[in-house]
Amino acid sequence: MNNNSSNKMKTTLLVILIACLVLLTGCWGKREVEELAPLLGVGFDLGEKPGTFLITPQIASPKKGDSSGAETEDRTFSIQASSAREATEKISKISNRTPFMGSLRVIIIGEDLAKAGGFNDLLDFAQRFGEFRRTMYVVLAKGTAQDILNLELRSGTIPVLAIKNSIESGDEISSFPTVRLGHYLTIMGTEITAPIFPVIEGVTSGKGIEYKAEEDKAGEIWVKGAGVLRGDRLDDLLTDEETKGYMWLENYVVNRFINTVENDESVIFGGRVIKSNTKYKVKEKNGKMELQYNIKASISVDEVLGLEKELPGSEWAELMNEAEKSFAEAIRKECESSLKKQRELGLDFLGIGRHIEQKNSAYWKTIKDQWEEELQDFPISLEIKVINLHAGTSNSSAVNSKEGRQE
Amino acid sequence: MERISPHQFMILGAAVLMGTTFLPVAWVVTEASGRDGWMSVLPGFAVAIPYGLMVLSFLKRYPQKNLLQISETMFGKWIGKMIGILYISITGYFGGLLLAQIGDIYQASIMPLTPLGVFYLGVLLLVLYLVSSGIEVMARFTELIFPLITIFLVLNLVLSIPRMEQGELLPILSEGFTPLFKGGLKLAPFAMEYMLFLAVLLPFLPTGKQEFIQLKTGLWRAVFLVGFLNMLVVLMQIMVFGPHETIRLAYGLLLLGKMVEVSRTVAGVESLFLGIWLGANVIKVSAFFFMTTWGLETVFNLRGLKWRLALGAVFLGIAFGFTRESYLLQEIALVDDYLILPFASVWILTLWGVSRWKKGAGA
Repeated sequence: MNNNSSNKMKTTLLVILIACLVLLTGCWGKREVEELAPLLGVGFDLGEKPGTFLITPQIASPKKGDSSGAETEDRTFSIQASSAREATEKISKISNRTPFMGSLRVIIIGEDLAKAGGFNDLLDFAQRFGEFRRTMYVVLAKGTAQDILNLELRSGTIPVLAIKNSIESGDEISSFPTVRLGHYLTIMGTEITAPIFPVIEGVTSGKGIEYKAEEDKAGEIWVKGAGVLRGDRLDDLLTDEETKGYMWLENYVVNRFINTVENDESVIFGGRVIKSNTKYKVKEKNGKMELQYNIKASISVDEVLGLEKELPGSEWAELMNEAEKSFAEAIRKECESSLKKQRELGLDFLGIGRHIEQKNSAYWKTIKDQWEEELQDFPISLEIKVINLHAGTSNSSAVNSKEGRQE
Repeated sequence: MERISPHQFMILGAAVLMGTTFLPVAWVVTEASGRDGWMSVLPGFAVAIPYGLMVLSFLKRYPQKNLLQISETMFGKWIGKMIGILYISITGYFGGLLLAQIGDIYQASIMPLTPLGVFYLGVLLLVLYLVSSGIEVMARFTELIFPLITIFLVLNLVLSIPRMEQGELLPILSEGFTPLFKGGLKLAPFAMEYMLFLAVLLPFLPTGKQEFIQLKTGLWRAVFLVGFLNMLVVLMQIMVFGPHETIRLAYGLLLLGKMVEVSRTVAGVESLFLGIWLGANVIKVSAFFFMTTWGLETVFNLRGLKWRLALGAVFLGIAFGFTRESYLLQEIALVDDYLILPFASVWILTLWGVSRWKKGAGA
């Protein structure tokens, strides 16, 4: 009797285990990779009719390469749709494959749509649907996103991959912010800080770049400046200088190329920021609270322009001290232009409100309700310290003798 | 009756206490305590220590009995039976809801086209196998799976470090200590779920003097390990998403997994994490299945495979009744806050108090 019951139990457990094997394999609802249309980028512009969008997907179309392995081509087209899901349906019909969102790297928002506002409705799909990743980049386009995605690049790279590569190597020059979808959503959640996006621009020959041959219309894409948003509406664009100031103040500078051309000095320095750190503190000064930024940067001097004569050791050392001051002045100008812009716009894109809240929450509670007005004249000071690490492989510059110079 | 070792008690306890708490813990505690929510996690879980010690204290006086049997002895047959019925109803219902949550997690994240029934049935068969095989097999399964759950959880958090935003933890304690208390209270039901499990685990524990000390140490260790891990989960989510987003995200940890990128080449590892977390789900549902099974056996003397299969059908029925995520999450929170927390906290405390009083009166 006991043996019988034990056998029954074993049989039941065996059946259960076999059923587990069938049910827990995870193959339900699988899709073969050939049936998918991997989305690399998507552009959003204003549609023809009110409430519609012009959506431009850029889909990867892998092909077999010759010696260097597989290559990627793109398939780019535009459709009118009133929602992201409607667009998905149309993309499926056109490409005969189901769009796969997990490969999406860049979302481009066209200038007109950004100015009109309302693109958060489209981004809702990207932050909600499980296939998407919050690590995708969001950028604004100067002009339309459609034009950017249809641009033929001289390098032969797919536009969206070129944008992705530019952003991912952005730390090398630290002249524009990197904004991932997750970061944008976090900034929105602060309810104080105005979101900011980098701006991409298509550049063709004769318009910011020169090519010898003019016969084709191929161009390049670069990231230049940034756009500041009020809600999900583009309020204004920041210049290159203002964006660089933003990068300093937000402690986003990793490496930078910098020069002192704008300083109006006889000797001009060019260099590279090797290391940078920005801290801030809220302190009381003359009975008023103020925010003080402390920027410390280590720079290597890579070029010296306008040197009249070769300098002996002591004078060279003095000049390098001057270089530190000149670089500090250049950084100050960038920061001040950014602060000035913030005051003009009345938008806290530098997150100053959050900085005050972080450092002195009790004081923040007293001003947060009228922060927009406070922002106009809230005292902010800058302490900038530059350390000149070295001047490359030589000391003083090679200069022709005075007699030999052309006056 | 089979017994588990103090080490197995610790691992099994940690696994049941942990369950899938790492998925909702961040939004639950941040909603209550805001940016400082992470500070509430350890105290919230620490509630399990005094209650756990109260439950363990019955082990010496009633070595072969679970708390339902002890309740009958203490309060009389009818009150004991009523407590038993309440116990069965709560654990059975909540177990079914947890089964439903498994389907929800997987369908919402990585397997949107797989029918919910496949998740339910697959997990339920595994649960049936574990519970039917006895507590020792369950403990061994946990000894194998729990370290993996812990490793992958820590790995997920470490790989999320590059996604941290600047200064999201600041300011600290800007709203004082009151919100922390609220957060701790929101987590207390997690500790009480574990207490309900401990209530029927009692007869399976060793009763030697030395082992009793080890059981108490095991309890401390399990609670602190789980509390600490969950605190890290909350910390990381606040640092990556900010408090506002942390509250908004239903399963923030899954999104952290989705954001993992190693050297811009390795991505999409969230499926790996989810695979391991299935083990955590299975352990938690098994624990509730185990509780209900033993409740039925103790109160109504219903034992054997056919009753377990019937209970499985009930679990399935409950799971299929909550296929809508918004209702499911709301229902889980309601059961936690308004059934499990008051029932377990009052029942165990009263039982312990009466036991002490009777012991005093007897002496």
